Amino acid sequence: MFEAIVLLFLGGAVLALASGNRRFSVYAIYLPPMAGSALAVLFSVAVITGRPFSWAAQGVVPFFHLEIFVDGISAFFMLMIGIITFAVSLYSIGYSREYQEARRVQAFGFLFNVFVASMFLVVSSNNGFFFLVFWELMSLASFFLVIYNHEREENIRSGMTYLVMTHIGTAFIFVSFLIGYLQTGSLSFDSMRGSSTSFPFLAKNLIFVFAFVGFGTKAGIVPLHTWLPRAHPAAPSNVSALMSAVMIKMGIYGLVRTLFGLAGLGASPEYAWWGVLLIVAGSASALVGVLYAVVERDIKRALAYSSIENTGIILIGLGLSVVFASYHLVALSALALVASMMHAVNHSFFKGLLFMGAGSVVHATRTGDLERLGGLVRLMPWTSLLFLVGAVSISGLPPSNGFVSEWLVLQALLSSSQIPSTILQISIAFASLPLALTIGMAAATFVRLFAMTFLSKARSKLALNVGEVPRTMIAGMAILASACLFLGILPSLGISLSASAFHLQYIPPGPFDAVSLQNASGRSFAGLSMPVVAIMLSCMALASLGFVRVMGGRTSRTAGGTWDCGFGGLDERMEYTATSLSQPIRAVFKTLFRPHSESDREPYEQANPYLVRSVRFNSSTRNIFEENLYNPLVSSTLLVLDKMRKIQTGKINSYLLYIMITIILLLLFVRLSHA
Amino acid sequence: MEQIQAGLMEISGAVLLIATFGVIARRGFTDWLDAYRLQSVVLAGVAAITAYVTGIWEIYIAAILTLGIKSIAIPKVLAHVTGRLGMEYKTETNPYLSLRASIMVSALLVALAYFLVQQLPFRTDTVAGIYLPVSLAQFFLGLLALVNRRTALSQVVGLLVIENGLFLFTLSLTHGVSLIIEMGIFADILVGIVISSILLFRMSRTFDSLDVGNLENLRDD
Amino acid sequence: MLSISDVVIGILQAAVIMALSPLVTGIMRKTKARTQKRAGAGVLQPYYDIAKLLRKDEVVSDQSSWIFRVSPWINFVAIGTAAFFIPVFLAYSPFGLAGDLLLVIGLFALARFFTMLAGLDVSSSFGGLGSSREMMLSSLLEPAAFLAVFVVAVTYGGTNISTITEAASGSALLPHPQLIFAAIAMFVVMLGETGRLPFDNPATHLELTMVHEAMALEYSGKSLALVEWSQSIKQLILFALIVDMFVPWAIPQYPGPMAVGLGLSAFVVKVAVLAAGVAFLESSVAKWRLFRLPDLVSVAIASSMIGLVFYYL
Repeated sequence: MFEAIVLLFLGGAVLALASGNRRFSVYAIYLPPMAGSALAVLFSVAVITGRPFSWAAQGVVPFFHLEIFVDGISAFFMLMIGIITFAVSLYSIGYSREYQEARRVQAFGFLFNVFVASMFLVVSSNNGFFFLVFWELMSLASFFLVIYNHEREENIRSGMTYLVMTHIGTAFIFVSFLIGYLQTGSLSFDSMRGSSTSFPFLAKNLIFVFAFVGFGTKAGIVPLHTWLPRAHPAAPSNVSALMSAVMIKMGIYGLVRTLFGLAGLGASPEYAWWGVLLIVAGSASALVGVLYAVVERDIKRALAYSSIENTGIILIGLGLSVVFASYHLVALSALALVASMMHAVNHSFFKGLLFMGAGSVVHATRTGDLERLGGLVRLMPWTSLLFLVGAVSISGLPPSNGFVSEWLVLQALLSSSQIPSTILQISIAFASLPLALTIGMAAATFVRLFAMTFLSKARSKLALNVGEVPRTMIAGMAILASACLFLGILPSLGISLSASAFHLQYIPPGPFDAVSLQNASGRSFAGLSMPVVAIMLSCMALASLGFVRVMGGRTSRTAGGTWDCGFGGLDERMEYTATSLSQPIRAVFKTLFRPHSESDREPYEQANPYLVRSVRFNSSTRNIFEENLYNPLVSSTLLVLDKMRKIQTGKINSYLLYIMITIILLLLFVRLSHA
Repeated sequence: MEQIQAGLMEISGAVLLIATFGVIARRGFTDWLDAYRLQSVVLAGVAAITAYVTGIWEIYIAAILTLGIKSIAIPKVLAHVTGRLGMEYKTETNPYLSLRASIMVSALLVALAYFLVQQLPFRTDTVAGIYLPVSLAQFFLGLLALVNRRTALSQVVGLLVIENGLFLFTLSLTHGVSLIIEMGIFADILVGIVISSILLFRMSRTFDSLDVGNLENLRDD
Repeated sequence: MLSISDVVIGILQAAVIMALSPLVTGIMRKTKARTQKRAGAGVLQPYYDIAKLLRKDEVVSDQSSWIFRVSPWINFVAIGTAAFFIPVFLAYSPFGLAGDLLLVIGLFALARFFTMLAGLDVSSSFGGLGSSREMMLSSLLEPAAFLAVFVVAVTYGGTNISTITEAASGSALLPHPQLIFAAIAMFVVMLGETGRLPFDNPATHLELTMVHEAMALEYSGKSLALVEWSQSIKQLILFALIVDMFVPWAIPQYPGPMAVGLGLSAFVVKVAVLAAGVAFLESSVAKWRLFRLPDLVSVAIASSMIGLVFYYL
């Protein structure tokens, strides 16, 4: 089955190249990955509920064995890849027709399939060397997909930022594996897992730190996130959906693998700082991500910032799990891990959905600028409904899946009172402040995104004459939207699935049971039963409908103009704009945004400044990470590189001299080390 | 009985902290005076509770003195002297840290105070165990008010808060054995306040400002 | 699971909240009027208003979409469902196992989400400014609420409201000084969530000050009745939470005719006193400038943080 899945993905890649640019070629491109991902879903469920799968080929590359090992953790992430890929491929059938007119789709289809296949192989490889090979393949494929619309200078620049950042990350991962190799003499994950508990403490710490930076770059941890808000909007929307929903999770996968396997996390308080680091980084990412998302004008970039935010929430859960594990609080560690992984799954569902929704909007209107959109709810009813489902879910509102996972993370935070260390208790309790702020701001962000895109009047001509997107695109979104609602109403299914994937000491509840936690005195700490809540909501809806009908009787509804204070002529220029909507938040957090605004007014006559002919208002926010961290870093690097350029004289003799010096040094090194 | 005493002390400590926050969270001089008055009343109550718990009668005198001097005399004097000052001197319009940032910082300072005291070997003594962190927190908050604010009036208030903190500090550690010293300090504070208010008044007349930032001009360069 | 009598008790408690909520609004209006030397309308006036509005025809903006029409219903349903989790005349709510304090906050957030969308849907500047201000306030009030909940939850061992109320009614308040801080925070959150002064003035329609009213400006008839009623219910839920958590006296643990009568009258008295107090406070403070409100919220947040320190150290 595993081979069949890989073959289907690769077959898609080959078919994409072979089919040319004909009408049916979109089917040739996207049907194989759909079949493959459907199989991958079945395969991963079989692995989670059954036995792990392993497969090995000796000597594909000398010294390195291609080992495939799919255990519960791999299968869990594979399930995520499978569902998202299925929905995105379906969506892409309609979406790619847009490109087919302007450009040939073969290259795109090839890269798309390779990208999916490489992610699939990353989670199943069991050897550091091949992990890195597939990881690099994934990065390169996604890089080429990011710069697919290469006519725009901006996209190339975004792609280059992505390429540089992702390679820095890969270097760190490589070092992390190398330390493991130095300890065991093998790059196989099996041997590292087997002996990692007996690594020296320093080696464990180093493995963790390097893996944290390396995988954290991919996951978009602040301050390593700068590539993310550039690359995601630049890529075509189906690719951004895949990148944000799944590829970011590969970073999380790497971290989980490292923490609960390769780095040998022990049950002693000296490991607690790993968790604290994760919580701090997670809180920072969550807060920074959401604060930039709430003021962003571009719909896709706002979604990208929100991905940083959600990575932060996932990391907070993961960090709590590590802290609990280091104090040997097994049940709480399981709770936090489940919370974190559920949020990872949920984020991939609603972020995939939202990116596809944003893609539909951009597809229809040719713009992602919130100031030019509006009023699409009447023109694109299905897209707007599905986008609304995603927005409700990502804002963590009941009865959606986002609420459940954020509830679990918050409960894990509340359980920090059981850690037997006062400093940790208090600092983790204080960490709930950024998290709660993030959750509140996320709702504001998505109110703004949805309202500015779909509600009130169109703010430019671009959003006037558009129609609903093709049915395949709607179907792709509908799959993920129903997954969001499904996991929101029956979260116990997801919880027991992740519990058995991670082999947690946890009695999986039935699908309709409540999630309940006990406190120290054995009473109910908290309970949540989403099926009951859903039933209560619907009963309440029926009851209130009936009550209002009985009490109020039949009434009519007439349409009239919006209240315009009697002046008349209310038009789209008097609406709130996206920028003005977030102005209060910008003002409250002005230290972070450094908002700058200037206005230029031209009065009718100089004597009376209040009668104005025209006003030009310009407001901008600044990105303090770019300005205070990356720009100095880049300019100092450039300075060093400039110095190094003197080595490159261009004369052939000097190059030969370098070779000579290198050889002599190497020989000296060998001689001395054998002395 | 023990339980109720401890609970009463805990709660009075909490109320004292809340009163201290009144100084941090508000911007007008009269608001500060109100907060200071409240704080001093609670402080007197705290002293009385301590006196009751420890059974040392001198502390009752300290409590009465606190009530009389700090919650009545000093606010009266300050209000009287600054009564003729314009509103612009009495409102802190432009502190270095914004109000909400300083509130968050002071919450952290309170945590820090508790954390610092936790390392000291006073946990066995109930009075010291409960009031010592509060006094330290008060000291920190007063210091924050001094550091953060620009007008000289707020500096006076900061000083007063610090003094209250120190009073509580000595009270909780020594249980008020040195009544005579306490009385000296009370007299000192009262005189100090009178003098500084007169100076402030002269300052505002002469320079049209109470911004301590102007002291920079004294530097010879 | 739940037995029939439990379900009946739960539904009764929710019904009490829904039925009494306009009365509480009436009491507050009356108190406000009297403190301002006005006669004021009777305390039952909100009932008449709702009954009248339910029978009125509606005018909706031709610019609005289905979001605008659905939003009052979602509002009412979400807030009405939240009422099921609140203990009123007993120290527990039988639905406590199905949802906790965080779910109540979540349901409020759901209602607010759609209110904000509806404000933006009608394409008038009023709705926009209301939603814009609400976005800022709600995103700041949510962490304040959560931190206050944190303090209460660690003190009483749960976010399950029944656990909290049972533990609270069985314990002396004296050994829990951290609850004072939580109560301050919760009070500020309550003022903000229900749009009371100094956050918002529910009695005016002045564009400089209004927040919640601006978002609901376009509603009429049935929808307006639902919006106003759900606002009252939300207010009573928050009052009830404060009463349950911080003034947990005379709340019976087990059902019975005497116990229920006692619990209900204690509840009504406590809530009426709280409501009158809030109304009195409203008469004595002015509306704060919008950008000074985060200062007040940060006081609430800092207060909860100190409460946590008190608890742990």
